[in-house]
Amino acid sequence: MWAELELSAVKSVGLCKVYRGKDEVEALKGVSIDVSKGELFTLLGPNGAGKTTFLRIISTQLLASGGDAYVLGHSVTREAEEVREHIAVVPQDVATYNNFTPWEYAYYFARLRGISSSEARLKARVALRAVDMWELRDRMCQTLSGGERRRAIIASVLSSNADVLMLDEPTSGLDAVARRGVWSALRGLVRAGKTILLTTHMMEEAEMISDRLAIVNNGNVVACGRLDEIKGLVKERFRVVINGDFKQISGHTEVVKLGDRSIAYLKTQDEAVDLLKTTLGMNLRAEYSPVTLEDVFVKLVGGFNNHED
Amino acid sequence: MKISKVIQDTFLIAWIKSYPDFRRNPLMLLLLAMISSIPLFFMLMFSSGGNVIVHGLIGAMVSSVSFVGVMAGIQDISWDRYVKIREMMVAMPVHPASYALGIALAPLLVSIPSLVFFGALTAYLGFLTLETLVCVVPALIVVWAVMSTMGFMISTYLLKSSTMVLNNLSNLLGIGFIFIPPVYFSEAQLGSLSWVSVIIPTSNVAGLIRSYMGLLPLSVEVVIVRWAVLISTTLAFIILTFIRARWREK
Repeated sequence: MWAELELSAVKSVGLCKVYRGKDEVEALKGVSIDVSKGELFTLLGPNGAGKTTFLRIISTQLLASGGDAYVLGHSVTREAEEVREHIAVVPQDVATYNNFTPWEYAYYFARLRGISSSEARLKARVALRAVDMWELRDRMCQTLSGGERRRAIIASVLSSNADVLMLDEPTSGLDAVARRGVWSALRGLVRAGKTILLTTHMMEEAEMISDRLAIVNNGNVVACGRLDEIKGLVKERFRVVINGDFKQISGHTEVVKLGDRSIAYLKTQDEAVDLLKTTLGMNLRAEYSPVTLEDVFVKLVGGFNNHED
Repeated sequence: MKISKVIQDTFLIAWIKSYPDFRRNPLMLLLLAMISSIPLFFMLMFSSGGNVIVHGLIGAMVSSVSFVGVMAGIQDISWDRYVKIREMMVAMPVHPASYALGIALAPLLVSIPSLVFFGALTAYLGFLTLETLVCVVPALIVVWAVMSTMGFMISTYLLKSSTMVLNNLSNLLGIGFIFIPPVYFSEAQLGSLSWVSVIIPTSNVAGLIRSYMGLLPLSVEVVIVRWAVLISTTLAFIILTFIRARWREK
């Protein structure tokens, strides 16, 4: 157990959380996850899956109802102060103080960690450069775009020199360009040796930046591993998206109807090509591609056809 | 956590929460001074002479620290929850006492210019001397403390209220505690109801300051009772806040 903890940056063992109140909600039902040092690990799940609850427990903001978790070997339940020395958090939907500048975020948050003034200046400079905010360091946050503000906050956690960074949906609400800027910054941090644990409900984000990921649904881990390992959990490898009403598909193929479109999931490339030829022969527009993480996710959390029309 | 780190963080948070606003929005200082000056304008216009202006200046000094005290406890805490800075702080090696004290201290720093301004006018009129200053400063610190802790208590018990509701509440409390009780005018004007001013922290302190300046005759026993009421009120608010407040949520 202790040898395992030494290799782990974050390890949760049977983590449970029940929100008591008028309606009792079981947000986490025994979640066990192991995040290695120096990797970017993503918790992927729909809204209400338990991702934020998990992150808040790991970051010592919330007490668990059962189980425990360890950050660099320190229990989040019993050694919260030690855990806080090693972590930095960007909460979900975090906003900025309007009159603050990115420089002040990076510098003062480093100072609050007990870092001396001169060292904090150095770390703030390095952090702002890492997230490409150096040129904007003296601009007030109220004049920055959403993506720039988010990067200013990320700079504040980066300057803290924490070993483990936890980010709760860091790109939600950002446009594609801003999102890529944040992704680039996060991968840069991993290259610099940081461990990152982030949550997202965006498949593309999980696919683009994760070293490993866990799919969480209804407080349970449905799947965990590298992207190729997760994709390997479903037998279908290819999909054909067909425009128009198409009924001539064999009974062995899973088909999802999306209004006037159909998506057929197939096990082999040959099957996909055959189906493509058939549809083209019927003058229907169609295209095929390998299954995406979103397809796998949908299958794992409820099946291809378990959606609301 | 080392006590030196707790103290250092307290001042750092106070600085963070005041300096950028102070530097980039200096009009805020003027606004703060003007809010406290509003009753003074009326007093100047309708004054029938005597020490009315000095009573008003004492009220303005008490108002400067009281208004920001209750504002810090309610508005700053709810704003920090809204922007999620509080969540970031909880996950940092920062003691909750540093955070609470830092937040309470920040507006006090911002109120210093207006406090100095009103104090200087009172000194010019000959009522604030070095001798009285020794008693006036602790009285102002206590009223700031009691109003801040009251603000913290309210924001702790109304955790789920919206930022808008809490902001309105803090403004209402500020006005209710400053402009209605005998803060800008002497409690002697209340006649047999003057005891009410002892219960209300702002008028209690205004009365104490008036007695130190020789504007209100209070016996030593009454002064001790008034201080005891202020300190016990502050302690009661602190205890009530501690009972309910959670740095780490359950």
